[in-house]
Amino acid sequence: MSVANAAHSVVEPSAHARRFAGLLVILYAIITMIPLVWIVLTSFKSPDDAISYPPKILFKPSVEGYCNLFTTRSRQTPEFIQTLGQPRGLCDSIARSRNMVVAGPSNYVPRFVNSLIIAFGSTMLAVALGTLSAYGFSRFRVPLKDDLLFFILSTRMMPPIAVAIPIYLMYRTLGLSDTRLGMILLYTSVNVSLAVWLLKGFIDEIPREYEEAAMIDGYTRFQAFVKVVLPQATTGIAATAIFCLIFAWNEYAFAVLLTSGNAQTAPPFIPIIIGEGGQDWPAVAAGTTLFLVPIVVFTVLLRKHLLRGITFGAVRK
Amino acid sequence: MNDLSAPSITYRAVPVRPAVARRIRGLSDQALAWLFITPTIVLLLAINVFPLVWAIYLSFTNYRANRANAPTIWLGTDWYRSILTDPDIWAAMQVTAHFVIWTVLIETVLGFGLAFLIDKKFRGHGMWTTIILLPMMLSPAVVGNFWTFLYQPQIGLFNYVVAFVTGRDASSFQMLGDVTLSPWAIVIVDAWMWTPYVMLICLAGLRSIPDYIYEAAEVDRASNWRQFWSITLPMALPFIMLAVLFRGIENFKMFDMVNLLTGGGPGSTTEVASITLKRAAFESWRTGYSSAFAIILFVTVFGLANIYVKALNRVKNR
Amino acid sequence: MSRDANTSTLRRDLADRILRRGPLEAVATTIIAAGVVMLMQPFFLTLYSWSFAITLFGTVMFTIVSKVRE
Repeated sequence: MSVANAAHSVVEPSAHARRFAGLLVILYAIITMIPLVWIVLTSFKSPDDAISYPPKILFKPSVEGYCNLFTTRSRQTPEFIQTLGQPRGLCDSIARSRNMVVAGPSNYVPRFVNSLIIAFGSTMLAVALGTLSAYGFSRFRVPLKDDLLFFILSTRMMPPIAVAIPIYLMYRTLGLSDTRLGMILLYTSVNVSLAVWLLKGFIDEIPREYEEAAMIDGYTRFQAFVKVVLPQATTGIAATAIFCLIFAWNEYAFAVLLTSGNAQTAPPFIPIIIGEGGQDWPAVAAGTTLFLVPIVVFTVLLRKHLLRGITFGAVRK
Repeated sequence: MNDLSAPSITYRAVPVRPAVARRIRGLSDQALAWLFITPTIVLLLAINVFPLVWAIYLSFTNYRANRANAPTIWLGTDWYRSILTDPDIWAAMQVTAHFVIWTVLIETVLGFGLAFLIDKKFRGHGMWTTIILLPMMLSPAVVGNFWTFLYQPQIGLFNYVVAFVTGRDASSFQMLGDVTLSPWAIVIVDAWMWTPYVMLICLAGLRSIPDYIYEAAEVDRASNWRQFWSITLPMALPFIMLAVLFRGIENFKMFDMVNLLTGGGPGSTTEVASITLKRAAFESWRTGYSSAFAIILFVTVFGLANIYVKALNRVKNR
Repeated sequence: MSRDANTSTLRRDLADRILRRGPLEAVATTIIAAGVVMLMQPFFLTLYSWSFAITLFGTVMFTIVSKVRE
């Protein structure tokens, strides 16, 4: 990869070096995508295709995985199935071809809804609290500022299991175990640290002169915050919100330890989707696919801010 | 990142008159600062600090969460002593060390390499970078769970590809069921997932090196090799350290992916510290004992977090 | 006499140079790192047993030292 051609600027790599670098990166990208592509492919396979050897790349697409994800089925004798009328819908006819009837909806939708409620609830709370604190830290002289900021960040770095033991006891006492409110509060407390650090970075970038000018025009400090700073920080707030959303959406450790049914989110549920005789891989893949699609969309939206997000706002480019 | 443009605000610079000061009504700045910051601190005190203090108390007792009504006896530092002399816990720490060292090493080498290549700015590098970044945004639990399918001995894609490349039989090895292979199975998934993280931070490091330094080196006829070792690597080092520290901390407390891939098995060959802790706390219900263990892990992470924030501040000033 | 004066200035110089945030933080960082290595090394059980105390000491020291003037 040596830049032999001295005619080029040093900073500009030669065309050869560029092409070679591109080739290697694209190769890595393709390899890294294989597991994800495989998840999507598997979700459209029939159970037999999913476990065939050698693994099938070409197959007849089927929605059985998605049907099995959303329904529970019970095995019946062919004679009994004969006595039933027309199958109700596509999933029912697929089930009947396997000597089963659809018994009812599965738990996937309620778990998915739990994930949505908990993720959005905690995100809104964390961003609201985080915006206020970030503004406070950014603009005012707060005693022990660095210590408070470190304390806020350190809460995010704690091992979830270590925190889960006392939280489990506390929630049991307060009647918050396995409730959505409990999970929202917990995720808020984890996300608020990220929100404060990220938003402080964004608000630091807004010139103080804007608020000062507004205050000279007769705004109070609070009005200046609402009418001048908040509109300026919209991009930052949106990026922060998406980061919080992704964390709450993906979180597993607290969810698996502190919820069992009522407030269980999708991540602890997807691995326990079981079919007859072991894991129903097309259904697991279908659940995984539906769960991952929003994140892929968000990642693309967020790509310019990812670096900030993963370094708590310290690295900005 | 200059998309925070401000077209609508066109305040004129007005000299501050004494009358203006009186017009700034309402709360003083100091009061407002506390009003803004207190809710966050209160929430963190309630959900993080209070439970932690409680855990410190419990770590000195024989409390068991499944026998809450049994009398609680003060044990002093007994649990700490027993954990810190227990060869099994020590073994779990070594399993954790194996996991941390290899994942961080692989991720740093691959991540820096990728960043170095992407920094060559080939055509379409933006799009490919976004694609490479995808795995780290996904849920480690949900994706980790799917890897158990890829690792299936007969039907899994991973085994098939390895068999295809090496000419071995696809059912002749079990990534998750084998004592020697399973520690590597979790390393592979973690490296797959988090290499992009290191790559992204290294890329920022490489891009923070000003062009004129390379130009000066070129004037001095320093070879590319020389430039890499005396400019690129040293100047990107604070960023690499940042990534290494964060991945180190994260993998030291790794739970979700390992729990779903192997659950600590076979036997205890992949039982990292978090899994041991979870077994003690939520399966054997030895709450006092596991609280002490949690505090040990907690202090370790807290210490490392101090170093991490120091590294963060060093990078911030660049 | 002169030697006395010399040592006292020397001592002050030394104190000035060492009792600063930078070097003290570096020491605390090293202690924390040593504790973490001791926790996870596979060689001596004794080192493992003392790791927690070392890490705790380093962390407390780091917290105190970060208050020392620059």
